[in-house]
Amino acid sequence: MSLGKKKKKQKRSSDVDIPITPMLDMAFQLLTFFILTYTPSPQETSFAMNLVPAQAATKLDAQMSSDAASNADLPASLRTLDTGLRAAEGGRLGRISLGENAIDGMAAFEKELTSILSDKDLAFDQALIRVDPRLHFSEVMKVIDIYAKLKITKISFSEMTGADEGSPQ
Amino acid sequence: MSASLSSETRAEPNLTPLLDVVFQLITFFMLVINFSNDNFDQRVKLPVAGSARPVDDASKVAEDRLVLNIDSSGRLLFNGKNYSSDEAIEQIKLQAALVRLNVKAGGVKLDPSGSLPTRIVIRADRDMSFGPLYQLMNACQNNGFQKFEFKAMTGS
Repeated sequence: MSLGKKKKKQKRSSDVDIPITPMLDMAFQLLTFFILTYTPSPQETSFAMNLVPAQAATKLDAQMSSDAASNADLPASLRTLDTGLRAAEGGRLGRISLGENAIDGMAAFEKELTSILSDKDLAFDQALIRVDPRLHFSEVMKVIDIYAKLKITKISFSEMTGADEGSPQ
Repeated sequence: MSASLSSETRAEPNLTPLLDVVFQLITFFMLVINFSNDNFDQRVKLPVAGSARPVDDASKVAEDRLVLNIDSSGRLLFNGKNYSSDEAIEQIKLQAALVRLNVKAGGVKLDPSGSLPTRIVIRADRDMSFGPLYQLMNACQNNGFQKFEFKAMTGS
């Protein structure tokens, strides 16, 4: 009995105490570093596309986009939706035109585009966006966004010239 | 007598749960931290687009990419310098020549159309006019770049 008690006492006295405090100090230092370097910024996203030279898109013998698969037998001019974007004061969006028609605002543009693309008889699968050079990039991006939403990623751009000024009203 | 009393009443706070919490916080910050934004220029405020998709890291590694940051005045921010539109066009020509040399050195055959395998990543400021951007895009296309990527932001 007495021998057993002695053994227990010996075990208790040889308990190893691990000092947690230095580890905690290091952990707090790491935590401080990560808190200071953390910047909660919105995630960057992107639109990936293959851009063929823009002016060629409306010609009958225009170069096809490299990812064109469907309707390859149709000329590019019959497959291309022509969008015109004019700038207002301060680089904001002034007027949008889709083909020959003037469109009133971005919501109406999206609605019109949706109805065109849902028409099975029409073979549009790429877009040409003619842009006023004064227009802000954010406005162009809104139009790209709408096209991307409607699964049109074959897009080409051209700069709106003086000759385009008189076209769609 | 008093010494033995004080040793019995000594408070030893249990630090283990605190350490657990701290390690969990460290794990969280290690997972969300992003060191890979070396090509991002904070002077460029990207436009917002809802349907743009995040690029997966695998394609970033697999593809050769050339990032062009363009500020609100239409100047190209590239390799720590900023270039006017004429200088930017020269830079693009130079980069295209370098890509061609790289491709040749690597023994890779170019596309019959002459298009380069490098993807141009455009990080353009939301308030820049389209004119200078179009000039840059044209310069890229004229020098054989056909793969483009436009950067945007999610949310507002």
